Amino acid sequence: MRGKIVFLAGLVAALGAGWAGFPYAIYTSRLEPVDFSHKIHADKAGAKCEDCHAFRDDGTFAGIPTLDKCAGCHAAAMGSTAAEKSFIDLYVTPQREPPWASYARQPENVFFSHITHVKLGNVKCESCHGALGASDKLPRYQQDRISGYSRDIWGTAGRPGMTMNDCIACHSHQARQDSCLDCHK
Amino acid sequence: MKTTRRDIFKFAGGSALGVLFTPAPWRLITDTALWSENWPGIPRPARGEIRAKFTNCSLCTAGCAVRARCVGDQPVSLAGVRGGLCPFGVTGHHLPYHPARLRQGPVSEATAAVAEAIAKCGPDERVAVLDLRPGRTASWTARRAMAALKSGLYIAPAQSPVAVDLSKAKTVLSLGAPLVERWGTPANVFAARDGFRLIQAEPVESRTAALADLWLPIRPGSEEALALGLAGQLSTAETAQITGLTELQLASVGQTIASCRLSLVIDKNMSPAVVSLNVKLGNWGRTIGPRAEAPVPREWEKAAPVTELAAVPDRSVRVLLIDESAPGEYLPWDAIEKKLAPENPLVVVFAWSANGYGRHAKYVLPTPVYPEALDDIPSAIDSPAPCFRIAAPLVAAPAGVVNPSEFIASLAGLPPSDTLRERAAAIHQAGLGTLVTYADAKSVPVKDVKPDDFWKALNAGGCWVGQALPPANPQAGAATVRAATVRERLPRATDDLVVIATTPPAASLISPLFTKLYQESDLLLAPNCVALHPLDAARCGIAFGTHAILETPNGKWSVRVLTDSSVRPGVILAARPEMAGAQGKVVRA
Repeated sequence: MRGKIVFLAGLVAALGAGWAGFPYAIYTSRLEPVDFSHKIHADKAGAKCEDCHAFRDDGTFAGIPTLDKCAGCHAAAMGSTAAEKSFIDLYVTPQREPPWASYARQPENVFFSHITHVKLGNVKCESCHGALGASDKLPRYQQDRISGYSRDIWGTAGRPGMTMNDCIACHSHQARQDSCLDCHK
Repeated sequence: MKTTRRDIFKFAGGSALGVLFTPAPWRLITDTALWSENWPGIPRPARGEIRAKFTNCSLCTAGCAVRARCVGDQPVSLAGVRGGLCPFGVTGHHLPYHPARLRQGPVSEATAAVAEAIAKCGPDERVAVLDLRPGRTASWTARRAMAALKSGLYIAPAQSPVAVDLSKAKTVLSLGAPLVERWGTPANVFAARDGFRLIQAEPVESRTAALADLWLPIRPGSEEALALGLAGQLSTAETAQITGLTELQLASVGQTIASCRLSLVIDKNMSPAVVSLNVKLGNWGRTIGPRAEAPVPREWEKAAPVTELAAVPDRSVRVLLIDESAPGEYLPWDAIEKKLAPENPLVVVFAWSANGYGRHAKYVLPTPVYPEALDDIPSAIDSPAPCFRIAAPLVAAPAGVVNPSEFIASLAGLPPSDTLRERAAAIHQAGLGTLVTYADAKSVPVKDVKPDDFWKALNAGGCWVGQALPPANPQAGAATVRAATVRERLPRATDDLVVIATTPPAASLISPLFTKLYQESDLLLAPNCVALHPLDAARCGIAFGTHAILETPNGKWSVRVLTDSSVRPGVILAARPEMAGAQGKVVRA
């Protein structure tokens, strides 16, 4: 009887450490530099995704907007929130780019064409990025200590992942052809 | 309660079982695999602004327009502009990182040795440049340099003096030309392909033969005889005997090309017999005409004449400089070696890779490679109008490389100059033709463009297209070919098989990415393989996939034998050009 208890104690300890302790150990976590609200920009300013996350003239995707884009509207405070004041004081006034962390950064050996998916394939931003565009607060950025990738590429509740398997699954579901060199450099 | 060793083991066992039901081990396995993708030594493309650069591909004479996607200054992918790019062009930006790439060489030592050898040249000895891709601006520099040297000689493979216009042809008879594989400008060929009926006369069922409307399986080496037979210089019976075709087949082909008002006969290099046949058929000025070259500055015209290798006296070349920097035609080494002086000839090769003529040279000097090299691309054989295109560098060349034309010019004491720009200025000054810019699909008359803008446009992938020469002299290039000469060149009737070379997929080394095509499939005949008809293989006692020795007068090679029923009996198909052009046999290793 005693032996069984000891065995079960080890089992429970491992389960606890694996499920509760391991995520804290494997991921580093930090806040984004600005307490940014997609919801406010979408609701109050009526901004659409492509207003800030724009395509360049040659079709390449600009990604996270640079300070110039933000400063176009926020050269002076437009509201009264502490987050906006902090943003202007810390970044706009000293002309310093915010060190944004990208939740969706892909490995160096692949490239992803946004224009092909968005314009040609009519894929919605939410299909890959989930409800981030409607969120009131940016989630904490969690980075895997070993692989260096964002935790979000594995997907979270209500949002699909952004791994190669997810790409292949979507292409298969949509009956799209794919080959290695479509994505891999 | 006392903790025993047994308790510790039981606790560890429970932990081991428990941990399997947590994400920890699986996450660690995945993370370790992902980490290995990024560990030190894995090349990391630079992150930065993404831009498009335009240039022209110089990997073959087609000179396709290229749009390079660059991150910062680093090209990460190449694509065609308003058209496709072949697989070798698509992976051209891998070449600077090829495992066989040369980056360092004994430049100062070679310079001193060449200068000393030139000074010691005897009265009957020559200093020669062998240019494997003539017609470039660099070729003109080499010709001028050789003209400035007392004993200078400029050697280049024979260039056809004619150009063809496939878009006007309704029937094309190809005598072994790899028309839809690698001949002329692929884009022009495919654009015109639906407009003509293709008759392919070739000993093997090549890809061109497979895609032709009619394949005539002629005997190896009988292409020229077929041209003479169709021109009436050989009797039908003799032509049938030499080519292996029936008299009925010959009559049918002759009638097809003679009755069509816009026919065209081609072979690989537009030989005099083929040009003569075209003139006889009345194609001159319609589907075939003189080949024009982009203008050059007037002072360049004091250049050494182009000499074919066969015309160089044997044992006369003391110093041979081989420019292998641009992919070009292959000349067998034994044909070159015969021309070298018997004692202490100095051979210097300019090449970007360790493969090639460098194996026979005293010095191999590294050169830039596409897309590092700044070069121009001469007009292709299927371009009736002259054109001038520059392969502008997309990446900087490494520090240790040399520019062959600068090296050769300095030996002859030519003042350093920007020859490409001088030639562009001469073209602009002539004021003829149009400037085509692929990036915006515009075509502007040159006279409406300022000189500086013209130069900038050329460096940004633009192309000058001139005017085709008027077909004034219908006999141009149509030298008389004697039937007796052709008979002498025919393979002798022996038990040996005739070795012919396949059309290589590319003119030079290609991206290592394509190694899979060679090593993991038989889509392309690998350099160490030969293909035989199954009956010939059985006659030689060799089974599919076994290793054997190929013996020809040119040498012996250890090869792997493949059997292929599309290869004509009596033929050995080889991928390496040095194996071909002779009769030989395959014996068991």
